[in-house]
Amino acid sequence: MTEPRQRQSTEFNEAEAIERAKQGDAEAFQALYDRHKRRVYSLCLRMTANTAEAEDLAQEAFLQLFRKIGTFRGESAFSTWLHRLSVNVVLMHLRKKSLPVVSLEETTQGGNEEDTPKKDFGADDVALAGSIDRLQLQRAVDSLPPGYRTIFVLHDVEGYEHNEIAGIVGCSIGNSKSQLHKARMKLRDLLRMNRAGKAGIPKQ
Amino acid sequence: MTCVELQQSLAEIEDGSSAEQQHHLRSCSSCTALVEELALIISSAPELIEADDPSPRVWNSIEIALRQEGLIRSQRAKRPVISSFGARWGWARWMVPAAAVLLIMAGTYVNRRSSSRQMVNNIAPLSTPDVAAAGLNDDELLEAVSDQTPVAQAQYQDNLRRVNEYIQDAKMSVEANPGDEEARRSLLEAYQEKAMLFDMAMDRSLP
Repeated sequence: MTEPRQRQSTEFNEAEAIERAKQGDAEAFQALYDRHKRRVYSLCLRMTANTAEAEDLAQEAFLQLFRKIGTFRGESAFSTWLHRLSVNVVLMHLRKKSLPVVSLEETTQGGNEEDTPKKDFGADDVALAGSIDRLQLQRAVDSLPPGYRTIFVLHDVEGYEHNEIAGIVGCSIGNSKSQLHKARMKLRDLLRMNRAGKAGIPKQ
Repeated sequence: MTCVELQQSLAEIEDGSSAEQQHHLRSCSSCTALVEELALIISSAPELIEADDPSPRVWNSIEIALRQEGLIRSQRAKRPVISSFGARWGWARWMVPAAAVLLIMAGTYVNRRSSSRQMVNNIAPLSTPDVAAAGLNDDELLEAVSDQTPVAQAQYQDNLRRVNEYIQDAKMSVEANPGDEEARRSLLEAYQEKAMLFDMAMDRSLP
């Protein structure tokens, strides 16, 4: 009885693709791109809320990565390296556009409108009970000011810790926490307003 | 602890679990609702809809840049240069024969160069007007992408400059070594790169 012929694998594993890319293999570059393109593009899109900008930034992130691939030694996960690089590319872009990456404002003191407990719009009728529609949440995130959006995406969506965010964007840990809290409060307001609007409840 | 203080403290202890926060929450339904709603937002965040794939032009631009920079050193995976035109004829139909003419002229140029050493000095190189006559005019490419973002336009301009330099380098190699197969192949690849760039520009500009 003959042994079944072993089928040649047509897929790269990532470590092999990286080594081949270092040698200039076009298919290896494309395999790495195909494997990570959606996550990189999603990150760029969430942080910019603009599809054309997100594509340009994703392109730049991959180009920077591939130019440096010869220096990758495997100490950390390739995806982590790429992800961090993508975040830096987006932040550089935001800085060039003179958009606030993170507000320099620390936690506000009393007397500021933001510190006043929000008036509820018909309280129970628009409470965010149960679950949040993902599309509505995405739209609310897209509506956030760029600084708030950056912090929220990095921490709550992408999972960066405050000490990492502080190092990436150049702020203090306290500022990162403060901005994140304000971002979440703003999202809450946007989501409640959206529900109030749909329920036909006028603002008080 | 007041409601204001409770809200401020959530920046540090977001789940309201401290003793002080719990003491306030036991008697304040508004702040309790606030903590619950923030928790809902936090738990929903990781489930945000992932975007679709970026458009094909992203990879095309990356590949062109990698080739220009010499980071891709192996043969490209086989694919027709003008494959995307087959899927989108429309008003871009004229591009197909134009690209074909360009490649034929490139091949003719290369063959003339290699056929006789004596003819080398007598045959004029394929000049910009010849390329223009083939229908692939740089100005037309730039006009086709003029409605793109400034960043995208700059990228196309840069890619166009690089591919023209690539073509010039390849032509010089063929002129210096008419019998060199590798040089001739490089020149044909260079023209293919330019056709691909036009391919991308037209693809992106189509609705």
